[in-house]
Amino acid sequence: MAALVGCNGVYDALDSSEPGFDQPPRSSSGKILGPEDIPLSAARRLSRAELDQTLFDLLGNPSRLGSANLPEDNQEREGLFLHWPFDNVYPLQTTDRVLVQAFETLASTAAQELVSDEEQRARIVGCEPTSATDEACLLGFIRDFGRRAFRRPLTDAEVDNYFRLQMFAEETGEFYVAVRAIVTAMLQAPDFLYRVEVGTEVPGLDGVYRLDDYEIATRMSYFLLGTTPPTWLLDQADAGLLRTPDEREVAARRLLEDPQALNQVDRFHSMWLGYGSLPHSPELTTAMRNETRALLERVIFEEDRPYLDLFRIDETYVDTMLAEHYGLPAPMEESWVSYGDSGRSGILSHGSVLSAFATASDTSVTKRGVFVRERLMCQEIPPPPPTVNVDDLPETNCKSELIEVHQMGACGGCHSLMDPIGWGLENYDSAGVFRLHDTDKPECEIAGDGEIVMVGTFRGPGELGTLLVEDGSLEGCAVRQVVRFAFGREETAEDEAFIEEVVSRRRGSGWSYVDLVVGLVASDRFALRREREMDQ
Amino acid sequence: MSRRTVLRGAGGAALALPFLEIMSERQANAAPGDIPCRYLVAVAGSSLGSGNTDINETYVPDAEGFGYDLKTALAPFAGGMLPSGRTYANVRDEISVVTELKIPWAAENGGSVPAGGRPDNHHETMVSPLLSGVRTPEGQNTKAFGPTSDQVVADAIGGDTLFPSLQYCVQPSTYLGSGGLSSRAVISYTDGGGIGARAMPVNPQKSPREAWRELFFNFSPEDPAEAADRDFERRLRQGILDVVRTQTETLERRLGRADRIRLEQHFDEIRDLEQRLIMLGPETVGACMGLADPGEDPAEGGNRPKVGDRYPYQVNSGYSNEDLRAEIFNGMVKMAFACDLTRSIAMQYTHFHSWMNMYELIGRESDLHELGHSRHASEGQAEGLAWHYKHFASLVDDLRNTNEVDGTRLIDHCALVMTHEGGYGLDPSDGSTKRSHSTERMACLIAGRAGGMMQGQHIKRRGAHPAQVLISAMNAVGIEGEELGEVSGVIPELFGRS
Repeated sequence: MAALVGCNGVYDALDSSEPGFDQPPRSSSGKILGPEDIPLSAARRLSRAELDQTLFDLLGNPSRLGSANLPEDNQEREGLFLHWPFDNVYPLQTTDRVLVQAFETLASTAAQELVSDEEQRARIVGCEPTSATDEACLLGFIRDFGRRAFRRPLTDAEVDNYFRLQMFAEETGEFYVAVRAIVTAMLQAPDFLYRVEVGTEVPGLDGVYRLDDYEIATRMSYFLLGTTPPTWLLDQADAGLLRTPDEREVAARRLLEDPQALNQVDRFHSMWLGYGSLPHSPELTTAMRNETRALLERVIFEEDRPYLDLFRIDETYVDTMLAEHYGLPAPMEESWVSYGDSGRSGILSHGSVLSAFATASDTSVTKRGVFVRERLMCQEIPPPPPTVNVDDLPETNCKSELIEVHQMGACGGCHSLMDPIGWGLENYDSAGVFRLHDTDKPECEIAGDGEIVMVGTFRGPGELGTLLVEDGSLEGCAVRQVVRFAFGREETAEDEAFIEEVVSRRRGSGWSYVDLVVGLVASDRFALRREREMDQ
Repeated sequence: MSRRTVLRGAGGAALALPFLEIMSERQANAAPGDIPCRYLVAVAGSSLGSGNTDINETYVPDAEGFGYDLKTALAPFAGGMLPSGRTYANVRDEISVVTELKIPWAAENGGSVPAGGRPDNHHETMVSPLLSGVRTPEGQNTKAFGPTSDQVVADAIGGDTLFPSLQYCVQPSTYLGSGGLSSRAVISYTDGGGIGARAMPVNPQKSPREAWRELFFNFSPEDPAEAADRDFERRLRQGILDVVRTQTETLERRLGRADRIRLEQHFDEIRDLEQRLIMLGPETVGACMGLADPGEDPAEGGNRPKVGDRYPYQVNSGYSNEDLRAEIFNGMVKMAFACDLTRSIAMQYTHFHSWMNMYELIGRESDLHELGHSRHASEGQAEGLAWHYKHFASLVDDLRNTNEVDGTRLIDHCALVMTHEGGYGLDPSDGSTKRSHSTERMACLIAGRAGGMMQGQHIKRRGAHPAQVLISAMNAVGIEGEELGEVSGVIPELFGRS
């Protein structure tokens, strides 16, 4: 095998027998990494959304059984005003009786739906049984489907274990009863439900393990696609072609060509920016989601633009209804239109984002301020202190009179961090429609002046986006959010050096999202894990 | 022998048989004194009133003692109809209403949270004192700091039932989209290390279908063809679970130590599920019989709707046919008790701080929480409570009409308490009055005649703690001592004393 040279030049000739496995792991700047530099990880259970997509890709099952059958993913992180943005936080995952039975039901429903669909089951099983007890066909199915479900080849002992269920085909004279039983068993096995990483210990690095080829494939796929590895990626793992940074980069770029990559990008942003479920009519919700998705597709995939353009771009993709909703010139059919001098630009001007973090009846200047601080600047805002009643606000005629209430006494300290941001967005109601005064109160004019204290002033979501980009806080925070999503947990103190390294290499360079995520996958750290030290 | 011992100790089906024998023997040979007691604590995620209309006009009966009058909130006690069309009879004489209760707060105690009390801010700070009798520390909410009453009861009398306790939640979603706040849907906590230690949440079953599968899958339907199908499905499930368990054993050996600990609970639950499936007996003694499969759960509604004139109110958002779900869960409760599958149930009808849309239920454009902060005021809240009480009343009626193997009524061996998130009065966080954000003037409903409780009374017990109603019910089912967490004492009128 030829000598491989890494993109950053630190990979010299590699041992041809174990490509990529004989060099000490390094950072992107070439520093040799110690154990503390390797990110912690543990078995991660698939989130509901990941299960939905995985079942679709494995079985062609579109029923979203994860969302339908399982309790909501736990995103309650204490000490924050808002909940944790992402659904994949493994340290918050717990297991109980109710959940395990729900997994059993989910597995059996998915299996039942598979065998009831002749076309689908023929495709998944991959052979035509010659009899109810066609051993070769069943064994082939166990090996093939097992490899896809567990994201690794099955051992012979494992194959034997599943083959025991053939007895039900024998009893009923029906081959697909065994298929149903095997699928039910595999889909409720922890090997399927958790992304288990074992790896092999790295000599000289205590508690650090090098992931095996299939574990790397799985990490890549769930990070970039939010689903199980496609067959070609498992084949790459079979061939040992995911071990070096270059190999992973090539594979990552190929994964990003998968249509599912856009879904994953949309999922990440919908959780981060809070527009995952909008409180509007189905038509308006669909139009808003399409608008945001079109922008993500254009900036990230079609034009591979600097990622921060997402917050500054001066066009948006609307249909007639949504254009009228915003008061923009209505196109004949869905298309890109210029924001002109509407005061809007970028994703923060979308109805989807402006609909998030509202109260049941109106915008919330406080929550929008918290959103900017916690989600876009990665600052922590504590939840309201015990003495605050946020449900029975003092009765004021105009909402702006609340400014004074919130500046009184103890409230002022925190609210001055949040509310001035929200007031700068107040001209945009909780569906993103521009307004000059409080809804139905012409006497209550909205000033629309906003300020991020210590950062600068702005008017409206367009200027807010520009201010956050120019300040630099959004750039660092966006990277941090991607890392949190990739790690499936909150960063630790030990992760800070890594995040700083990723950010500082890119700061101000006009980096693209693809460059960021491909860089993460290609880095040495991506193929390693550190196991948490256990209390004695 | 505790259930845990049975399940953990059993290597296979061998130990299941004695267990079944114990169960059926006890049921078949039960003498009157042997009938076990059953306990249920329920939660309605609502306060009693808000605004200028006093709850004396919408809730609290004028008359004290037996034969009290029924205002808007309590009107369902007179009888009514359920979503399925089934009717239930007047149950006023089976339910006592204890009013003028109070959970103390910090401001009235010089600023520090008193025993059995809460910090001054409202939402979810009452969870711990209400259900565990232990104060919520300053800055905390939505958790308990001692075991809740249903767990204390389960530890004491749940020993040889298949499910020492069951937790159900009628409202299936927070209606907030992703992001959780799922702890608003927890009312059961196990001991986390004594009073004051953070207790461990027990997540409820929110799916009626799954609740049915858990309890009644093994009961054979009467129709022979159906029974044969069910028998095959049961053997298939067992065979599959056996394969799954073997797979987990393989995995367990591969895992690192940290992950082995992390996944241990999952492995245990798989083993337990398999064991329960083997043990769960088709014992149809007395009123105990398998319930019919309730079918698919009603569809879950989307996020809570927006209120306001600009956008039309989405009457279907934020609602998952909780009306029907409540009826199905109540049927489950009755039969779980009748079959002695459990003796302790925590039943949450609506979440704390609930954003369930009330439009379908009472015709008001509001979610349950907003009823307490709006023009709907005490009148709207009374209607919201009445919806909860319709289901509580029908459960009581159902238990009254169900007989034990010795011919006594099931309700005579039960203690059921309905608790609430708040009362009506002072909001100590800002000193305002007539608020829903108050733990002044709270109330509990209590039913069942276990321990000789005398029901059908309106008892005004000014300043008593709601946990004292729970303690009364716990005493009634045989728990010794008059304590729950930091609260002590009972409501003496329930036992014919004053």
